Amino acid sequence: MDISLSSEDLEFRDEVRSFFEDNKIKSGEDYFSWRLGWFEKAREKGGWDVPKWPEKFGGPGWTPTQHYIWEQETARANIPFDLPFGLGMLAPILMNYGNEEQQQRFLPDIRDRKVNWCQGYSEPGAGSDLANLKTKAVLSDDGTYYTVNGSKIWTTLAHVADWIFCLTRTDDSGIKQQGITFLLFPMKQEGIEVKPIITLGGSHTVNTVHFTDVKVPVENRIGEEGKGWTYAKGLLEHERTGLAGLSKSLVELEQLKDNARSIKRGNGNLMDESSYKSKVGELEIDLLATEFTELRSLASAAAGGDPGPESSILKLKGTEIKQRIQKLTVEASGIYSSAWGDKGVGPAFAKSGTGGYLNSRYFTIYGGASEVQKDIVAKKVLGLTKGSSK
Amino acid sequence: MNFELTEEQKMIQQSVERFVQENYDLTNRIKISAEEPGFSKDYWSSMAELGWLGLAFDEEDGGFGGNQIDTLVVMEQFGKGLVLEPFLANIVLGGGAIKRGGSESVKQSILPDLIEGKLQVTLAYAEEQSRFDLEDVATSAREDSESFVLNGKKSMVLNAESADKIVVVARTSGSQVDENGISLFLVDANADGIEKENFPTVDGLRASEISFKDVVVSSENLVGKKDEGFEILRAVTNDAILAIAAEAVGAMEVLYKDTVEYTQQREQFDHPLSDFQVLQHRMVDMFMEYEQCKSLLFRATMETVEDPVLSQRTVHALKHLIGKSGIFVGESAVQLHGGMGVTEELRIGHFFKRLLVIDSQFGNSDFHLEKFTNM
Repeated sequence: MDISLSSEDLEFRDEVRSFFEDNKIKSGEDYFSWRLGWFEKAREKGGWDVPKWPEKFGGPGWTPTQHYIWEQETARANIPFDLPFGLGMLAPILMNYGNEEQQQRFLPDIRDRKVNWCQGYSEPGAGSDLANLKTKAVLSDDGTYYTVNGSKIWTTLAHVADWIFCLTRTDDSGIKQQGITFLLFPMKQEGIEVKPIITLGGSHTVNTVHFTDVKVPVENRIGEEGKGWTYAKGLLEHERTGLAGLSKSLVELEQLKDNARSIKRGNGNLMDESSYKSKVGELEIDLLATEFTELRSLASAAAGGDPGPESSILKLKGTEIKQRIQKLTVEASGIYSSAWGDKGVGPAFAKSGTGGYLNSRYFTIYGGASEVQKDIVAKKVLGLTKGSSK
Repeated sequence: MNFELTEEQKMIQQSVERFVQENYDLTNRIKISAEEPGFSKDYWSSMAELGWLGLAFDEEDGGFGGNQIDTLVVMEQFGKGLVLEPFLANIVLGGGAIKRGGSESVKQSILPDLIEGKLQVTLAYAEEQSRFDLEDVATSAREDSESFVLNGKKSMVLNAESADKIVVVARTSGSQVDENGISLFLVDANADGIEKENFPTVDGLRASEISFKDVVVSSENLVGKKDEGFEILRAVTNDAILAIAAEAVGAMEVLYKDTVEYTQQREQFDHPLSDFQVLQHRMVDMFMEYEQCKSLLFRATMETVEDPVLSQRTVHALKHLIGKSGIFVGESAVQLHGGMGVTEELRIGHFFKRLLVIDSQFGNSDFHLEKFTNM
């Protein structure tokens, strides 16, 4: 064991830093053309546009330490936004279970950030119990297309998505994990209706999506009919690792401290108040530990493969940390935490603080509620058989 | 010792409860909150007619001679519907300051009309730098023969948009954080030199930032003695703490009961959620926090009625527990409702928001713990 970075790693870090520095957005430059150009240049670096993709599909083939460095540096630098749905969620499924034709058809557009994907998993009756899904897909008599009917809920950014990857039920005769089929289809077509859900923070990110007789050609099915659950399960573990968001939390923690220091108290500031300081300290300690839990998990993944059930620990700890940062931001805002709307009163960070906190309550619910995550750890890690999740 | 309400208080309790049930479903609340002035003038008039606005005022001021227990009875029921009408701003804060410090002529010119719902008064005490410290007052009042001249800025003034009069806390002497040297003034809300920036609050109410530039107030409108306003301010904000704590207890009751009901209906993994022990225990915790808050609310309120000075430490204890437990109950209700809990569509989210705001008003949980442990 050795915590120091090797000279190669340090060199890599400097290279990453100078890449970010050299490719910063220039004042007056159009954001979207800068964004596309940035990914193009990252690609020329040897797969930096798709850091997590395997080398076989054009990824950089980094070591866990290099990934860690990348995470740290990207959290600190202003790099273009990226959505996880196509790049981080669907792509691994296509690589593992899609046929070659599907890989060639979908992966390049995902890589070029040309197509926005959304994830059609949760349903009104299938939240934590995802396998309980009821959206029906019926194969036509000639076997060339499916007809999809049903509803999805909590579909993030469905209102701007071009395509959806969707879990559907093709057979309900067996146990509920069987008979699920993984389909891909365009969002902008007749029979698809997207309705916004406004969350407590007052924002529109998630939606309900209704399907009425949506036709999906059979070549848009991933793998075999009825095996979709197996494909999706691996993906959920990827999703859970991503949800921890630790590098971002580290940056947000520093921001939180700066914000608290800007609140003057007597001759000092809010960070001098023992109750507040203790909470920030406890948060930082949890973050230091969780960061290394993630690194250990990455290292074992690099040696073995899938992140596995350890990713549940990361999701549990990581989301709780994110919520605590939000809560402490609200506390730092003091009396101004109750102000709402566009008129910013009080310190600048107070403006979005309370909305951010309210929306952050979602972190311990989506991608598998914390209670379910703990069931998974109990069952898969501790070997306790009488868990509630299946 | 006796925890029984009087017959009159029981009647008031039932009548407020019925009012909330009949008028405060979520849809109606959202509608009222979104329209001007952010509450229903009709409801406010009804509350005046039913005598609720006068409960805690002396009979000679046009009230019914009640006390903080009557306010508790009303506010707890209000908390079950997140009532928007400005009872706290008018009756507890503005009216509370005037009944304690106003001269006879000030009381007579304000209180009867306030109790009849014809006139609105709020209290402007907090400032941008003061955070939760009541004694941190930078707004100045300079004496000038028969009047005072106010300069400065007040923050998060509740219901200022609708107020006809504002009781303003200003400094007449001493340094910025001295308890001595604070005075209260009754000011016309539309006096020359007053500018308001109005905005909605997280819980669907309204507040304002108000600036005062050379605002002239006659000496007759001093509320309480010059330089000695702090004790009035403290008594009024203690009453406000008791009032919003009662409201919080009402809100927590709704949250734990809604959660118990929802988890019995919602099925996942082929069972109602309420079958899962981990969720049962969380609901037991919510219930226990609610009961504990209610106990401390009764304790602090009864002690305050007995002796408002000796009760100070218990009031700090109450506000600490209400802030902490309110947020715990709110977060738990959201968590157990899953995704639906994070939407505007269910009422629990709105109750959670109110509890969050309650923690930030009149000192948060940390602030009162500090005060409590230092006493």
